[in-house]
Amino acid sequence: MIQVSRHDIVIVGGGGAGLRAAIAAAEAHPDASIALVSKVYPMRSHTVSAEGGAAAVARDDDSEELHGFDTVKGSDFLGDQDVIEYFVEQAPRELALLENWGCPWSRNDDGTVSTRAFGGMTTKRTWYATDKVGFHMLHALFQHSMRFENIVRYDEFFVTELLTENGECKGVAALEIRTGEFHAILGRAVILATGGAGKIFPFTTNGTIKTGDGMALAYRAGVALKDMEFVQYHPTGLPGTGILITEAARGEGGYLRNADGDRFLVDYDYGVGNKAELGPRDMVSRAIIQEFEAGRGIDSKVGLHAALDLTHLGEAHINEKLPFVRELAKTYIGVDPVYEHIPIRPVVHYMMGGVDTDVNSATSMPGLYAAGEVACASLNGANRLGSNSLTECLVAGAVAGQNAMDFARGSSEGNVERLRGQAECESARVDALRGSAKGSEQISGLRQEMNSTMEEGCGVYRDHPSMAVAAEKAREIRQRASDLHLTDKSKVFNTEIIGAMELVNMVELAEVLAVSAAARKESRGAHTCRDFPKRDDTNFLYHTMAYQTEDGPRLDKKDVKLGHWEPQERKY
Amino acid sequence: MAGTAHPEAMAPPQKGPTRTAPPQMPGTWWGAPRIRTYLLFGATGIVYFIAGTVFLHLVWQLGKGPEAWETALSSLSHPAYIAFNALTLVSVIFVGVRAFGGMMPKMQPRTGPIPVLPAGTVKALIYGVWSLMTLVICLILAGVLF
Amino acid sequence: MTEAAEMMHVEVTRFDPDQDEVPKVQEYDIPIQSDWKVLDAINYIKDEVDSSLSHRWSCRMAVCGSCGMMVNGEPKLTCKTSLADYSGSIKIEPLANFPIVRDLVVDIDGFMDKFRQVKPWILRAKERAEDMEALNEKGTFSQSPAELGAFKQFSMCINCLLCYSACPVVANEPEFIGPAAIALGHRYNLDSRDEGARERNETFRGEGTVFSCSFANECSQVCPKNVDPAAAVNQAKLGAVIDWAKGLVLPREGA
Repeated sequence: MIQVSRHDIVIVGGGGAGLRAAIAAAEAHPDASIALVSKVYPMRSHTVSAEGGAAAVARDDDSEELHGFDTVKGSDFLGDQDVIEYFVEQAPRELALLENWGCPWSRNDDGTVSTRAFGGMTTKRTWYATDKVGFHMLHALFQHSMRFENIVRYDEFFVTELLTENGECKGVAALEIRTGEFHAILGRAVILATGGAGKIFPFTTNGTIKTGDGMALAYRAGVALKDMEFVQYHPTGLPGTGILITEAARGEGGYLRNADGDRFLVDYDYGVGNKAELGPRDMVSRAIIQEFEAGRGIDSKVGLHAALDLTHLGEAHINEKLPFVRELAKTYIGVDPVYEHIPIRPVVHYMMGGVDTDVNSATSMPGLYAAGEVACASLNGANRLGSNSLTECLVAGAVAGQNAMDFARGSSEGNVERLRGQAECESARVDALRGSAKGSEQISGLRQEMNSTMEEGCGVYRDHPSMAVAAEKAREIRQRASDLHLTDKSKVFNTEIIGAMELVNMVELAEVLAVSAAARKESRGAHTCRDFPKRDDTNFLYHTMAYQTEDGPRLDKKDVKLGHWEPQERKY
Repeated sequence: MAGTAHPEAMAPPQKGPTRTAPPQMPGTWWGAPRIRTYLLFGATGIVYFIAGTVFLHLVWQLGKGPEAWETALSSLSHPAYIAFNALTLVSVIFVGVRAFGGMMPKMQPRTGPIPVLPAGTVKALIYGVWSLMTLVICLILAGVLF
Repeated sequence: MTEAAEMMHVEVTRFDPDQDEVPKVQEYDIPIQSDWKVLDAINYIKDEVDSSLSHRWSCRMAVCGSCGMMVNGEPKLTCKTSLADYSGSIKIEPLANFPIVRDLVVDIDGFMDKFRQVKPWILRAKERAEDMEALNEKGTFSQSPAELGAFKQFSMCINCLLCYSACPVVANEPEFIGPAAIALGHRYNLDSRDEGARERNETFRGEGTVFSCSFANECSQVCPKNVDPAAAVNQAKLGAVIDWAKGLVLPREGA
């Protein structure tokens, strides 16, 4: 028997965006009931792993105009400019609010918040709390959210389906991981804030929970996934594990060196503000791969890599500004950056694409909102600038919380019995899947196949023949994922069935990603094709929209919202 | 226009409880060095309890009169008591060293009102103060001071 | 992948309330790599040997706090603990002092309640609307690096709960609010932006809080982030007493 609970709004995901949305809704409507559903306890959410900082205009030599232009240019002109203008305007207020709520931002001697340099940003506008910004932001948000009694948390509940009525989103069906029981958590609006899907790739900074669940939920409910072909490679991940070494390491003055010991980025001239290392992530990642291909990569037992040199910064500076980088390098690769170079290579970090939303964080489905990495409001276009995403979680989260609440107040609850029925079907489906030893595919085996397919087809450099192969292979993998071999019959904390459903979500997105990529015959931002090395504004200045059909994704186009800034050549 | 949420909506989610196993200590808990030191630390309590009892006994004898006091004092030179006294000293040093270990700065660097001194300096300071206090007390007891 | 695989004998606690009366031990012999962490070994078992094994993990970079377990009897963050530190065989158990839900998964809801009891958010005397003058023109409080440094260390807790597992007081008195929760409350007490110390100190003077601590110092020894919760607890004792003494001497505000 499934349990039905009724709220005003339901938020799926308890990371930066989800918590910000919950707080926005709870603050505006103290009498409302807000459900916060997450497959992990909120402080485990992957926002916790962000390191470098969050961008918002803070200094007198900076302006919203500059932040906006940097973002548009960083996006390779695929960003929607209404979203960008709203974002840069709201950003300072959001970060200041977080300060008021206890986030321990690093300070200047005069007591104001300190900012640091970041890639692709023309001036110092990245707010930071040493190099654990995501951690401090998430914990500040989570702890602040606890003061609101009207935020009702559902910790360790895995959402498997959006419940809809007449094309409107009315709640979610969720599996309580602890008990194996199903719940219909109803609300008159639903916000997705489940983060990205980096785990589609084998080598990623993302934690194991980032399986794109929210994207898959929306996609299956008929909402378009936008610009899925744009996957950000972060230039500096530890070889082997893929653990992130923050861009702040370069912002604080670090150098990238090749096998000859040269600061090779000087030759590429991507740097912003007299600093060769501070180019945008897509370009720096490509430069590293070019060095590898020119035979200037460093070969070692951890594979081909480049080197991040912080030795000239001195121990005191590293301890003060980059203590976590030092801890990570020592623990996970046995290197003390005070004395040695850190081996690094480009690593999958962020999905620019996601559920199609607008400046109001609203999707095309009434009552369904999305915010954070799961969404694609087209703030980031074809390439995100470092430190814009944490701020995006806050800005988009707050907007989603307010708008979802407003929507909920103006709409009706829907037929509870019918929605319960929907959840019961879902419950029956999952019950049948649990421990069903009928299938023949191993979860881990299929996951590895998907991982290698995506790495081969959709890496830093791509070409259309291999993208077509990847798309074909991804489609085959998606079909095989309906035939999984499960052995765990227990209802209590069954992580095998969660893993299976996460895999099904991922293979779906992998196919969308590969198909969207294969259709874009140009090079823009993070989507770089060897066979089409130039940006093509005449034919491809549009967003890719992918809709689910039985035969795989159907692609469509959506115009880019231009306006304030005209597309121009992207040169740094 | 719809009203607010269902009246029951504010209730926390009903966690369907599952049967849990009671908390368990690792099977080898008594063998772990960390736990052994803690047990030793706890055991020093017995020593202090006995020392305290002896002290109370002395005070009691003092109240009984000079004769009883002299007898009590002379009983302190018994080898067993001297051995026990040595044990008490060892216990005090053990607890002191353990507590001082806990006072060492754990995180470097810490930009606070009190700058974090290097661990060596902190150690020297703590033990310096300790030795000085011990010396002063010894001198007072020996009648050199006051 | 580059080196010849070495073998390791791994003993793992298994408990499925649907089937098992009490937790049992299952043994696996698996090939390992020299650079693996303990978590990698558990994930290998989950992926390649026995997919019914349940455990929590996510970030695998020692910041999400999910993967705390007992490794050879010591509470450890398994993603931060090198397998190379153990030779031949290893014993992995769920965190001590917590009820076991399944295999290596423990019930931490009790902690979540304790966590909330210390009011881990900025408390201000005035309502937000009247409080705006405390902010500078950028909308933030002014806080010097020294004021930040006063609490920074205690804000680094990742809630991995190793300290609860190591604490002998928690073992005897499960209601004890515990090291991480006290450290968090103390973190806000030390924050120059906060005005709720008196309220939290009242909580701290209650039963099962700071004065239950016997300064075993175990929490600080096992803390993977060097937060030093023992220092926080003992500073909080002092703060609670000073506040109490002040209450005796000084007239109550507003009275």
